[in-house]
This record gives sequence, C-alpha cells and structure tokens, in this order.
Amino acid sequence: MEIRSSNEAEFKRVYEEVFPVIMRVAYHVTYNKDVAEDICQDAFIRFYDKDMVFDTVDDAKYWLIRVTKNLAINQVKRKSRERNSIEKLKKLPHAKSYDKDGASELLKEESTQAVRKAVEQLPEIYKTIIVLKEYAGLNYKQISQVLRISESNVKVRVHRARKELESMLSGEEIHVP
Amino acid sequence: MCLDDQILNTYLDGELSEPWKTQVEEHLSYCVACKERLNRLKNLKKMVCSAQLTDDEIAPRQEKVLSFMEKNYFNKKKPSLIHKKIKVSFGGMLGVAAAFTLIFATVIWGGQGDSQEFIPNTGINTDINENNVSMVSVREPQIQTLDDYTLEEILTNLDDRGYTVDLHIKGVQPVEFDSTEDLSEDEADLSEPSSGN
Repeated sequence: MEIRSSNEAEFKRVYEEVFPVIMRVAYHVTYNKDVAEDICQDAFIRFYDKDMVFDTVDDAKYWLIRVTKNLAINQVKRKSRERNSIEKLKKLPHAKSYDKDGASELLKEESTQAVRKAVEQLPEIYKTIIVLKEYAGLNYKQISQVLRISESNVKVRVHRARKELESMLSGEEIHVP
Repeated sequence: MCLDDQILNTYLDGELSEPWKTQVEEHLSYCVACKERLNRLKNLKKMVCSAQLTDDEIAPRQEKVLSFMEKNYFNKKKPSLIHKKIKVSFGGMLGVAAAFTLIFATVIWGGQGDSQEFIPNTGINTDINENNVSMVSVREPQIQTLDDYTLEEILTNLDDRGYTVDLHIKGVQPVEFDSTEDLSEDEADLSEPSSGN
C-alpha cells in the first residue's frame, strides 16, 4: 500500500509505528530527551511538507530514520563546538532522580548510565551502527538500506562497534537484567 | 579452529545463514571457550539494549509532537493563494530576472514599429540615413566665417597667396601724393604685425 506523507490518515499510520523508533535513534545519538523530541518533530514536519509517496510503510520508516539520524548527528556536531552546551548535554542523562528504592534499581540505573556514556563516546560510524541495531531494532539488511552501505560492511561495523564498547565498559560493574 | 568474534556476533544477531549456522552450532556444542565468548557477547548485547529509552519515556513526547502536528498542520486551514508563501530558489529568481531583461530588450530594440505604441514620440527624427549620420572621426570642422579672423590674419593670408590689397577707411580722404611708392609702404605697415605674429 502506497503511503503519501501529506495524507493525514497515512501520516498517522506511519507516525504511530515509527515515532518510538526515531525517538530512540535521536535520543541515543544526542542523549538529550528534549533535543531528541525536537529532532523527531522536525523530521515529521519535513516528512509532511515534502509530500512524498512511499511504496511501503517500511520505506517511509527508513527515510525517517535516515533524516533523524542525520539531524541528530548534526546536532551533536553543532553542540560539540559549543563547549558549555556539551557539558550540559552530558549532564542531562544523569539528572534523573531515583524514584524507587533498592540496590537492584540503583545498580541498573548506574549500568544504564555507563552504557549510555560509552555509546555516546563511540566514533560516529560505530555509534550509528549500534543505535540502529540495538535501539532502532533494524536487521543488517535494513541498516544497509538506511545507511546505503553493503550488508558485509554492516557486519564488520557491528563487530568493531561491539569490540569498542566492550573495551570501554570493561572496567564497569555490569548489570545484566 | 575456534570461531572469531565477527562470526559469533553475526550468529548472535541471527544473521548467519546456512550452512555456516549449523557449523557454528556444532562447534559451540563442544568448544567451551567459544561458548564462553558467545555468552560474554550476549551479555554485552543485553546490557546495551537495556539502556534504551523506554516506552514510558517516549509516550508523552509522542503525544506532544502529534498534537503539535494536528494543531499546526492537519487542522490548519490552507492559506489562500494571496497569503501563500511562494518559495523561489535562487536559480529560479535568476531565470525570472533574465526573462524580464529579455522582454524589455525586445520591446526597446526588437520592434521599432511596435515601440511607438509604448514609448511616447520624442520628436526626434529616427530615420537613419547617410545624410544625418557621420563618422565622428571624419567629421568636418565647424565652418568659420570671415568674422572669425582678424583683419591682420586676412591680409596676411591674402598676401601669402600673392594678392595685393587696397585698404580704404570711409570718410577719410587720402592725401594726394605719388601713388606707386606709398601704396607699397602701406601694404608693408599693414602686413607687418601679422608677420610679427
């Protein structure tokens, strides 16, 4: 079924399915929820304004993921040029207060922060791969379509990204749920 | 021979196709080291996935953005043609400017006859022929009359050409004397300043 991006009903159908995915992509690149939300809004405005026709919902999804990923990376690059802002950006994920008691919850939260920090510090190509693989839930073929690279290249990047992550997290207390 | 991390990662992601998948599973059934390594990679993957933004964190933002879209895009009345923002690219603007220039040039130079309808008659004869056109470089100097020259210059010029000039002043009667000698003297006096100049 064709999807016209400016058609309200078809837009909402795509929105319902894709918003959580691109919100995760935007968040795990920027690690700022407000910025991620703005990026998602910007991506959907572009989607609507461009009045495009997609063969499937998946095609629309890949387009939105690609746009979101690029907007998020540009945002990080822009922020990295502003020293004060990057400090704020790094602090935001840690700002969450612990609303539940218990050692396990605390351990999980610390582990989450450690992972997010490690992902944030990955080189851009590895960060993108990890975000698309683990947070957007795409398979190798879908990632290759979004990034317009070969599946073999995706395979290699996934392996190298995990190796890098493992090395970064080697000193951390790992909490596996 | 043991499995490398790339194969294990591909297997872990469920992306390993047959017959390699069966071969890897067979190897893992007896190789403790590779099984251990696979478990470590599995834990790493789980840990990374557990750090993802939760549905609870996404839901309010999803609603917020949707209501923004509904308010500003879906329920917004389409602007009339007059109020519509017209986006024109730089190239488009250049094209329009070029078209205007071309039309203007055509009106001015392209149709002389038609231009009469648009441009008021200035009263200047626009017929161009050899009588009213002359090359600037070969234009003749302005015609000078006799009044432009001094009397001395006229006399000098005539003298140079070999003429003899008899000059009289009205109302003055010349003194009677031998005509041949004095005439030559008068000529000499009149011609002297001009030669001196």
